[in-house]
Amino acid sequence: MLTYLIRRILYVIPICLGVTVLVFGLVHLAPGDPLSAVVPPDAPEEMVQELRVAYGFDKPLPIQYATWLGRVLTGDLGVSVARGREVTSELALAVPNTLILAVGGTLLGFTLGAFFGGVAGYFQGRWIDKLATGIAITGVSVPHYWLGLVLVIIFSVEMNVLPAIGMGPNGSSTWVWDTEHMKHLVLPIITLSVIPMGIITRTVRATVAEILNQEFVQALHAKGLLNHQVLMHVVTNAAPTTLAVMGIQLGYLLGGSILVETVFQWPGTGSLLNSAIFERDIPLLQGTILVLAMFFVFLNLLVDLVQSAIDPRMVR
Amino acid sequence: MMVNSVYKHLGRLPSVILGGVVAVAVIAGSMSNSGTARAEGTLRVGMTAADIPLSWGQPDQGFEGYRFMGLMLYDGLINWDLSSSNKPSGLIPGLAESWTVNPNDKTKWIFKLREGAKFHDGSEFDADAVLWNFDRLFDKTAPQYSARMASLVNFRIPSVSYNKDSNTKGWKKVDKYTVEFTTKSPDSFFPYQICYILMSSPAQFDNTGKDWNKFAQNPSGTGPWKLTKMVPRERAEFVPFKGHWDSSRQPKLDKLITIPIPDPNARTAALLSGQVDWIEAPSPDAIPKLKERGMVISSNLYPHVWSWHLSRVKGSPWNDIRIRKAANLAIDRAGVKALLGGYAIEAKGHVTPADPWYGKPSFQLRYDPAAAKKLLKEAGHGPNNPVKVKMMISASGSGQMLPLPMNEYIQQNLKEVGIDVEFEVMEWQSLLDRWRAGAKAEQANGAHGVNVSYTTQDPYSSFTRFLRCDLHAPSGVNWGYHCNKEIDGLLEKASLAFDPKERDIWIAKVHTMEVDQALFVWVVHDVAPRAMTTKVQGFIQARNWFQSLTPVSMK
Amino acid sequence: MSTSPLDPRQQATVDVVQVAVQSRGYWATVLGRILYDKVTMICGLILLLIILSTVFADWITFTDPYKANMLKRLKPIGTPGYPLGGDEMGRDMLTRLLYGGRLSLFMGIAPVVLALGIGGLLGLTAGFLGGRINMLIMRIMDVFYAFPSVLLAVAISGALGAGIFNAIVSLTLVFIPPITRVTESVTTQIRNLDYIEAARASGAGTFAIIRVHVLSNVLGPVFIYATSLISVCIILASGLSFLGLGTEPPEPEWGLMLNTLRQSIYVNPEVATLPGLMIFITSLTFNLLSDGLRSAMDIRYVRGTS
Repeated sequence: MLTYLIRRILYVIPICLGVTVLVFGLVHLAPGDPLSAVVPPDAPEEMVQELRVAYGFDKPLPIQYATWLGRVLTGDLGVSVARGREVTSELALAVPNTLILAVGGTLLGFTLGAFFGGVAGYFQGRWIDKLATGIAITGVSVPHYWLGLVLVIIFSVEMNVLPAIGMGPNGSSTWVWDTEHMKHLVLPIITLSVIPMGIITRTVRATVAEILNQEFVQALHAKGLLNHQVLMHVVTNAAPTTLAVMGIQLGYLLGGSILVETVFQWPGTGSLLNSAIFERDIPLLQGTILVLAMFFVFLNLLVDLVQSAIDPRMVR
Repeated sequence: MMVNSVYKHLGRLPSVILGGVVAVAVIAGSMSNSGTARAEGTLRVGMTAADIPLSWGQPDQGFEGYRFMGLMLYDGLINWDLSSSNKPSGLIPGLAESWTVNPNDKTKWIFKLREGAKFHDGSEFDADAVLWNFDRLFDKTAPQYSARMASLVNFRIPSVSYNKDSNTKGWKKVDKYTVEFTTKSPDSFFPYQICYILMSSPAQFDNTGKDWNKFAQNPSGTGPWKLTKMVPRERAEFVPFKGHWDSSRQPKLDKLITIPIPDPNARTAALLSGQVDWIEAPSPDAIPKLKERGMVISSNLYPHVWSWHLSRVKGSPWNDIRIRKAANLAIDRAGVKALLGGYAIEAKGHVTPADPWYGKPSFQLRYDPAAAKKLLKEAGHGPNNPVKVKMMISASGSGQMLPLPMNEYIQQNLKEVGIDVEFEVMEWQSLLDRWRAGAKAEQANGAHGVNVSYTTQDPYSSFTRFLRCDLHAPSGVNWGYHCNKEIDGLLEKASLAFDPKERDIWIAKVHTMEVDQALFVWVVHDVAPRAMTTKVQGFIQARNWFQSLTPVSMK
Repeated sequence: MSTSPLDPRQQATVDVVQVAVQSRGYWATVLGRILYDKVTMICGLILLLIILSTVFADWITFTDPYKANMLKRLKPIGTPGYPLGGDEMGRDMLTRLLYGGRLSLFMGIAPVVLALGIGGLLGLTAGFLGGRINMLIMRIMDVFYAFPSVLLAVAISGALGAGIFNAIVSLTLVFIPPITRVTESVTTQIRNLDYIEAARASGAGTFAIIRVHVLSNVLGPVFIYATSLISVCIILASGLSFLGLGTEPPEPEWGLMLNTLRQSIYVNPEVATLPGLMIFITSLTFNLLSDGLRSAMDIRYVRGTS
């Protein structure tokens, strides 16, 4: 058990190194001059060359990588080319906003999913099960960026009851727990929740169904001993898997929020990624991808550790 | 009690569920009340930029950066007159009260500075501040030198003399309120270049630890607005600077907030839902909806042109003037205007006939497919032998209006007369890169033209940089390698004419030739539509890329 | 099964014990089950209809999908000559939707097929050879697993730039790791089964073993897994186009159409939703079909191995 934990934790190190290589490689694959986006079209070549030296883009790639890695290890992600601001401070503004969306979406998805899945598993094969599994498969098949657009059309364009874009009044990009910000949160959260909802419904349904089909549960049923104990049994047995699935879902929503953030112009990491791509802002691009990937790696680690703590049988 | 018993039944896991339910309930509950209080006299503007323009002096984000940051916080030595909507906007004294060229040596300009102008930090503006600001852009040994700022603006002031090897500067202090500039050669366009250089406060630079990034957080200029708050990508907040030297430019608003909203649809949504009071460049398609919801659309002629630049490299079909003219005659500009919801002016040349630079071209830009076909026939082309050209266009971009629909429409027009156009669609940024690289560069990828749009605000940026033989890549954006010695001669004469009236006559001659030679394919001029609520009062839309928000108030 | 638009790779382990026997009788049973499964049959029919109508779009539509008509822009649904309305260029939506399906389907299927080839090969190699090679291949895959799939697709496409080819490259790279992992897991399980040991003992060559036993037993589950990825891939591919990282205008493609029509939701909201509806229907039918096939072939996915 302990060796597993240690091995699992140590294994994160080579993965992280691999991730930095991949991120750096990807970003530098980009064709075109990394400065072209920030220099006006009439600026003379000499000026551009001067900036290139200033940003270190004139050095060979392995050296750029080593320099970058060295700075990353000390927590310095460099300065955005286009904006002239620290990448870390840009991320510090964006990450909490994406977290709000991702956590909100996961919680809502989890709530609905646990409910639908539980009901479906309990009433296996009945119409209510078919309905719940139908909702689940719809959830995993719907292009959520389209769903977001449809929600905007219904609630903003047609009914004009909820804001279409942004996170709060006056272009706010700092979260505040007030009504205005809450209203902005409704549509994006619903949009983000459909995928975890679908997945958790399926997971919970399968788990519940399997447990209820176990012989001793059937026996309990037969004895007329039902509800409390059975429910407890179901919940404790379904919890590790469901929590694991939920943890991973949170990671996916964090890393994959770019589509929904684009639809709702949410000022999070997805928007940051979007502008970094289109402005070819290399330091910002590699910093953002790196941080999102790291979140995912550590979330995976956390899920594994928690899971093996709850249920030692899971250790492989 | 109830919650407790439920909890017991469900075990530890569902506390998360409960959390979720509570969150949903809170959200649902929050829907019932709406609206937040906001100070009277606050105007919120939705800009098209993706971020707040740089606030340290020379802005980025092109002319929108000047409009919503540069010219609000700062003044140039010369300013644009933005006080009128019904005459072309010209140059007026800014931090310089007057400027004259030395009659004996026309490379020397004397600028008399305004006395008593103050920066936001209280320090005084004088000749030393002018020198300091020029050193910031050129002198690499100066502590305030900023390569980034230099890259943003130096190309706009090509005439000023500076030798980088000897660090010999074309700016010098005569006395506390007099500065002398030297140009590389006599150039009457120099005042138009000076107005792009904005004056940052040297004292504030020292106060912020000689760090431009810190200065940008806490900037200080002499402009009518002070920056009080800046949240990257979110908003900038401005309040009036009571100590501004020009009392007629004292802002009426208590507060101004600019918000970057690059997506046109999102700007529409923001205006309709009351998140902003004013949006720049609403999508033409959305204008009827905006009017239906009671918004006011402001628009005016301004120096902008949307055109196709043509390659004159060997092998380009555009080398034949008949084909250039045919293309200009084949375009249904009224149709393009309809496409833009009527918010455009059909081009009759590079500038509008209302412009003093228009001249008297004999070639009329009109919709005449029959004449176009005839010209093409003369050039040896017909329905079975169409002219084939490849154009680089962008999917969106500053001043590009609706590039895809417009280009597709033009493509259709041209096809009808026998010009087959193939498009290479790219991002605005890479289009600009290729524009800079010139038609002979590998990046041009064999294209015969490029669709760009830009300012025609000053003679250099509307004519010289596109037409002078020596301004092809990498020296300038004469993308297509146009070269006409006669036009070069006229441009030379214009730049040597120090009397504005005389200069305008020479430029009008340049323009006449340009149109008669059909050097470009001109389509429309933008009218810069802006949408605002009825609460916004007093806005005067000047015929300029820049606008002043000082007379605006909120009802 | 628990694939989703955003995590094709979750729970990608297959229990193969059920499919050890694949005789003629087995396939007859599978076919019989499918024929009795109404949902799967209906989905198959809808999908066939979508595929046929996009492939034969030239015959069933009368207008040019590229020909703009600027004076008839953004016509509402039901306008004469525009049964499903007109887009921002005045092109007929019905025509654009049918032609658009070609690219959307192609971009949904091609990456999965490519990834199936490459990832399948990698997985077989890793699973059959085991040892260091397995270690090497699977650890590289682990690095790719460190990225949520949307992030990986966006990052690669963002680096390579927009374009159909680049989008396909990026999506293929996204799907190689999960397919490799599934193939490796199935192959490893089968390799350790008794009858392979027996075959080995009886002197059959490695290649013969792979060809006869491993392939026949691995292909089924991996194929089913891959079909479930198509739905994900369609959504991701259209998503890339939606972000401006996939197909480029004026190419008809559902994601890109959704992106450009998004600008006109204040003018013509119903028309703007149509391309997304097509993505949804296609993805849903692929998902249901894949579910139907899987249960007909009686392949169970193991839970809890994320």
